[in-house]
Order: sequence, then structure tokens, then C-alpha cells
Amino acid sequence: MLQFLIRRSLGAVLILVLISAFTFFMFFAIPQDPAMLACGKNCTPDALEIIHKNLGLDKPVTVQYWNFLIGIFAGRDFAVGHCAAPCFGVSFANNQNVWDTIMDRFPLTVSLTVGSLVVFLIVGLGAGLLAARNRGTWIDKVFSSGSLVISSLQIYFLGPLVMLALVYSTGWLSKPKYVPFSENLGGWFAGLLIPWLVMATIFTANYTRMSRSSMIEQLQEEHVRAARAKGMSGNYTFFRYAWRGSLVPIVTILGIDLSSLMGGGMVTELTFGLAGVGRLALESVTNKDLPMLMGVMLVSAALIIVFNLIVDAMYAVIDPRVRLS
Amino acid sequence: MSILRNRTATAAIVAVAAGALTLTACGGGDSDSSSKDNSKQKEDAKSQSKPVQIGDAQASTGPAPDVEGAKSGGVATVYQATDFSHLDPGQIYVSDGKLLSRLIFRGLTQYDEDENGNLTVVGDLATDAGKESDGGKTWTYTLKDNLKDENGNPINSADFRNTVERLYSNYITDGPTFLQQWLSGDGTTYRDAYQGPDKGKHLPDDVLETPDDKTIVFHFDTPRPDLPQMLTMPGYQLVPEETDTKEKYDSAPVSVGPYKISDFKPGKSMTLVKNTQWDPKSDSVRHQYLDGFNISMNHDDEDQTKTLLADQGEAKNAMMFTGQVATTQLQKVVGDKQAMENRTIQGYAPYVWQLNFNMDRIKDKKLRDAISLALPSDAVFKADGGAYGGEVANSLMSPTTPGYDEKFDPFNREKKPNGDVEAAKKLIKEGGFEGKSLVYAYGNTPERQKQAVLIATALEKIGLDIQKKEIDSATWYEQVGKVKNGYDLYMTGWGQDWPSASTVFPPVYDGTQIQDGASNYSHINDDHVNSEIKRIQKITDTDEATKAWAELNEYISKEVNPAAPIYYTKVFQIFGSNIGGIRYSSDSSYVDVTRVFLKK
Repeated sequence: MLQFLIRRSLGAVLILVLISAFTFFMFFAIPQDPAMLACGKNCTPDALEIIHKNLGLDKPVTVQYWNFLIGIFAGRDFAVGHCAAPCFGVSFANNQNVWDTIMDRFPLTVSLTVGSLVVFLIVGLGAGLLAARNRGTWIDKVFSSGSLVISSLQIYFLGPLVMLALVYSTGWLSKPKYVPFSENLGGWFAGLLIPWLVMATIFTANYTRMSRSSMIEQLQEEHVRAARAKGMSGNYTFFRYAWRGSLVPIVTILGIDLSSLMGGGMVTELTFGLAGVGRLALESVTNKDLPMLMGVMLVSAALIIVFNLIVDAMYAVIDPRVRLS
Repeated sequence: MSILRNRTATAAIVAVAAGALTLTACGGGDSDSSSKDNSKQKEDAKSQSKPVQIGDAQASTGPAPDVEGAKSGGVATVYQATDFSHLDPGQIYVSDGKLLSRLIFRGLTQYDEDENGNLTVVGDLATDAGKESDGGKTWTYTLKDNLKDENGNPINSADFRNTVERLYSNYITDGPTFLQQWLSGDGTTYRDAYQGPDKGKHLPDDVLETPDDKTIVFHFDTPRPDLPQMLTMPGYQLVPEETDTKEKYDSAPVSVGPYKISDFKPGKSMTLVKNTQWDPKSDSVRHQYLDGFNISMNHDDEDQTKTLLADQGEAKNAMMFTGQVATTQLQKVVGDKQAMENRTIQGYAPYVWQLNFNMDRIKDKKLRDAISLALPSDAVFKADGGAYGGEVANSLMSPTTPGYDEKFDPFNREKKPNGDVEAAKKLIKEGGFEGKSLVYAYGNTPERQKQAVLIATALEKIGLDIQKKEIDSATWYEQVGKVKNGYDLYMTGWGQDWPSASTVFPPVYDGTQIQDGASNYSHINDDHVNSEIKRIQKITDTDEATKAWAELNEYISKEVNPAAPIYYTKVFQIFGSNIGGIRYSSDSSYVDVTRVFLKK
């Protein structure tokens, strides 16, 4: 296991360096001047030159990249003050420390992701298992056809509908907003309930269908049938033998979906007016804010790598036949 | 004030674009609503276009008269689409920052606005609007007594010296440059004359003088009658010397106004609480009825409108700053009689959208006149908005600019709002321009794309060959701001910085200002216009200057015609039912934030 973790970690570092280099140099291939972002109404060539100097854009791109990498490990000094390691620089748009900004937005994105993950895993897997257990019955048909319909919905369509029904028209639920759970647990739950439900609804459908088909497949496996032939109860074989085996493809999909959740988080944040890492990513792209873009890209990539590492490790837990070496 | 110039302009783009409400959203009812509302707004505009009055010391003395029915207490929620571009007063140049600055900053002067929208310049931190001498070349201000910043530090003339001098520093890259240029040189030459207080030097006394703790004297080399108005701009609000953190000030400014920032999460939220050091007796305009404001960002116009129209829970105490009723929600808002009567405000924004002729490429005035006559202004503005979002422009002057004359209509917009095709065709024939190929550049937003089709179709009808060139809207002003931009026709918007044509004609029509990045987009360089601009800027009598600007406006359109007026923009906002004291401000063109309260 240790060898596996060391090998994968080294690979992750290499991937992150490649992503950072690609993003950094691609940014300067765009025919737009990021200094325009800070250049006001009197944006003359002289004013632009001052801004280039202020932002360090007057230096060669390779030097800028090297300074960026050094800053992550050793920190850097900027006009607005010292940026301690890990320093991803200061935003072109508002001079804010990139790392601090990402860390400020991170709790919302984690809350959104984990909350919706819990909802769609419980509901999606539960519905799938119920459908598999009652294969061919009306329960199976309702869940199967329902998941097919729901899977065609999109957050930006469902979100406003739910808002109209539960917030604008009736006032039953409060308008989504983020309150740190350390400050107010009830406010945190109430503020994120609608985004969780909407985001989870989109993902639930896939997990219902996936767990149903995987479970049906497992129930037809020889070891399950042998267990039944030995006289074990239906529920016991269902959960003890079949369910565990059915989890392998679900965990694989979950690993992929965790990165989708980040993307889904961006749409959810935009739909509900929430300020998380997803919105930050979009803003940094539209603002040509390279330091913020680099920070968001690298943190997101690191997270996805960690998620995949966890998923790979989980294979060994779920299926003892899998060896990480 | 250009609407689309900088990153701060993002907010303005959103505001103006959203304010430009589509005809389709009116479901064909646009003409009715248009006729219903325009008369009142024309009256409002008359107030806005009156020359600003100068108030005396008494008018500058607080406290401000009570707002009818006002109560103290409670916290209002403010919905904003984006973060404030800057918090350093020296870098604030757009509307959202301006509204915030009215709550937390103070300058030497400010506008006092009556119930009809008439503006008077009064002293803010100064005892009056300023005493001029030497024919308007010297202006003297005296600070009021017992002024303090949020930390309780006394405010003196050295703080104002710092406020002015720091504007020359390299970290001030945004914000207005009027004062710096008036004191030390045009363009960016003022930066050569002085590099800011960081080098340990001060501006010489023959430029800026602070003879004692309470007196500030500005010396100009030419009369500057607009100084009292110019000093109302957020860019010239006080930055106390002792707590000036220079580059870092943009994240944590010090308050002098009735509220101060207690919490700020960039891109997310800002909390304002009462500034206990603010003395209402020192302020003749602002109130402090509310305990504070919770400003929540990331709410686009649609979200703001839906939330405020629904008026549920927290939204009852919520308001817009620079948000506008969203296009998609227009019909619902207009259809809600109660909301329309009690919870909305409307008025003109100062922007004029015009079609610029690149005069380096379109040299024949007859061709420019033909295009001006052929433009389908009504259809073009409706592609970007309905009656609540704008109005056909008869002139290059906005209805909000003193000197505006609704009767001056050189291209017959009133009778032919969709263009006088026959008259245009006649000019095309006379000039032999049939089949002439012109490049029309436009931004790649849905509104501009629709407008491009309308304009190209209209100009092709009169016999021109229009080549449409789509440009990334994010770099729009960078592209058309180049002197050699390669385009013949392009639309831009411009609005006054304060109610005077002196902030419109010099930047947009002065031929001596042509350079990359400058705002003379048509590259007009007419000797008479250039000399008139210089002459009028020196006129110290407001009425005389206003008349002269109006005459210059007529000359520019009739004799040169560098740009064709297309449409004026309007503002339409909605508020929660428990928000009291709301009224449209002629100064900000949005809600007057200085007098807001909660009804219960």
C-alpha cells in the first residue's frame, strides 16, 4: 500500500507540474492583455505600461512561470505585501491573495459536494437496490422510468423551477445562501437544502440505474446462487454477497463523478447565486485573471487526483482480489 | 463616463445591458407602456439637465432634513451582481462603487438633491462648495470643525493633501484623472510632473497649498469652474494620511461617512455597520437611519428581480444598488400594479449610444449624413431594450446633460425613428456612394448581434455594401480604441461624469486627444471644435457655458457629424416592500442610498 501511495503521489506531482505549465503558457497564447483588466477609462499606452510593471507582466513568460512555482514553496513579495507559502500569487482583478480566496470559497464547494453526494448516494443507491429487489414489479418500473426522465434534466433548468415553487411563489424555503456550519448549523442546512436536492436529483438518476443493473447482474452470479442454494435468506445474500460485488462499478463511476461534481458545482453556484470555487474558476477565466485561474486549476486538479487515489484504494477494500501493487 | 471601458465596466455593462429591456419581453405591449412612462421621465430629465446650482455655507450645514416617515433601526440587504471593482476611492470610477462611496466616504463637496431631482453642490467635509478667486484659477476650501475618521482620528488639511498626492502614485491605475490633469498636465504627463508622496515629496504650493490645518487651496493655470462638481466624484473622497496603506487600501479603506465596513469577503459579501464617529451635524445630505447594510454579491439581475418581486422573507428588507429589472421579468413587474406604484423607480441613465464614423476612413460628410439619416434607431434600441430600457436619441447630448435640447433633431428622429430612407438614398446618389463597401464592427453579445443585422440591413437598403465584423465584447473598447482599428462604423456609449457637457465633449470630440486607448472614437479633429472646447472649459458662468456647449453640440452634428445618435439608456429598479425612502437620484442615476430606511 505504501509503495502504491508513493508511486501515485510522485505521478500526481508530475501531472500537476504539467497542468500548471500548460495553463500558464496557454494563457499567454490568448491574444488579450490581462493588464486591460486593471486599466481604467484613461487606458493609454503609458497607463498600460505602468500596469504591466505593477503586475510583473513586463518580465519574460518563463521568468514569470518560474517565480510562480517558487512562490508556491517559498512565498513571494508583492506590492500589496508578502504572500506566504503556499503562494499562488495575487489576483490581477482585485489584488487579493489567491490562496486565501480559494480557501475562503472552498468550504461552500465542499459543503455543496458532500451534501449532494450524501443525498444522491442514499437515494440513488436505495432506489436502485429497491428496484433490483423488486425486479419486474411496478416499483422497478417506476424507479427505472423515473430515473430515465430525471437523468435528462439539467441543474440550470430544474434549479429555477424549484426556486419558483419553493421560494418565490410560496416562501416555504429560504433563498439559498451559505452560512458556515460552525456558525449556525441550522442556517447551513437550510441555506444549502435546495442546491443539494437539485444537484443530487441530477446525479441520483444515474446511480439508481447503475446500482439496479449492477445488482441484478450480481444476483445472477454463481456465488450468490450457491449461497441461496445453501439455504441463506434472500436478504442476507442480497446484502452480504450481491451488494458488495455490485459496488465496484459504482465506485468507479463515483470517482469520475467527483470531478463532475466540481463542474456541476459551478453550474449550481451560478444557478443559486452562491460563491464557491466553481464560480471563482469561471470568473477567473472571464476576467483573464491568471493567478486566480492557476490557483483554481491546480487545487481542483490536486483534489481530483486525491479522489482517484482514494477510489483506487477502495477497490482493494471492496474486492479483496484486487491488489494495489 | 464610458460604459464599457474597464473591468469595472463589467458591472456597468451588466447594468446597462440589463437595463436595456427587450421589446419581446413586453409581449407587444411596449408602445403602450412607452407612452405611459415617457412623459414623467422627460420631466425627470428636465431636472437632470438643468445647470447645477452652487450652495452656500448654510446649505452645507447638517443635519440633513428628515425624510418623511423615516424610522431608525434594522439592516437592509443589498443584492449585487458582482463585487465592487475597487474600494480605494482613488480608483473608483463606476456606479456601484459610487453608491457605496456615498455611504462610507466623504469628500470636500457633495450633491444635495431636492424632491424634483434638482442638484445643488454643497460642502461635504468643507464648509461650502468652494471659494473661487483669480478668475476661477484658485479655489479655497475650509474644513468643518470636529471631523473624524472611523478610528476617531481628526481630519485635517494634510489628509486632503495626501488624498490628492497619492493619485499620482503608480498603484492608482483606475479612477478619474481630471484633478491630476488640471493641476499638473494633460494625458499622462501629470505622472511625469510628480510621482506621488511615496518619494517623500509634495506637490508644490503653487499647485496645492495647505496653509493651515483646515485650509486647502487649489491653484490651476486656467479657470476651472467645474471644480466643485468634479470634487463630488468618489475618486476624490478622503483617504486619511495616517491610515493610508497605499496598495493595500483597496482591500480595507477607512470610513469617514455614516457607515463603515465591518466585514468584507471579496466576491461574496460586505457588511456595513454604523460609523459612530460620523457626526450628522457635519453632513447636510446623508442619513444614518439603518443600523447597517448586508451586501450580498453574485445575484444577477434576473435573480434580484425575481427575489424582490416575490417579496418573501428577507427580500422585504432588500434592495438593488445598480441592479436593474431583468428583461425576462419585465412583463411581470410592469403587470404588478402594487409593485409598480410603491416599489419601483425609473429614470434616465446618462449614457448616449452612438454610431461612430471612423473619420480617417469615411472622409465625406455627405456619406456620414446619409448613414445617420438611414439608421433605424427605434428598432436598434428595441433590440437592446424596450420603453423601460431606453429611448430613441435625437442628439449626441443626453437628456441628463445640462444644455440638452429635445427640439434639436438633425436627423429627424422624432418623425422618422426608423430612418429616413428616401433622404438617405438621395445623398448616396448625389455623392456617388452606391455600392461603397464599409466595415461595421460590433461586439459578440446577442444584443449587438441583433443590432448589427438591423443596421447592416438598413444601410444596404440605401445602396451601401456592409461588411459585418464581429469582435469579442471583452476586448471591444481595446479594439475600437486603437487609432488604426481598421473599421468604418462602430457603436459606443458615453455618459457624463457629472452633470456638465464638459465631461462629454472634451474626451469624445477633442481632436488633440486622439491616441490609442483614448475616447475620441471617431477621430474627429476639427479646428473649430478643438478651439471651442478649450474656450468653453474656461467659462466660469455656468449658464453661459451650458449655452455654449449646446451650440457646440449643434455644430458638431450639423457641420462635422462624427457620430450618429441612436439611443439613450434608462434605469428601472425594484425594491422590497419594507424599504422606505427610495427615490431615483439625478446624481447617481440609481437609487439614492443616503436616505434609505426600513418602514417597520
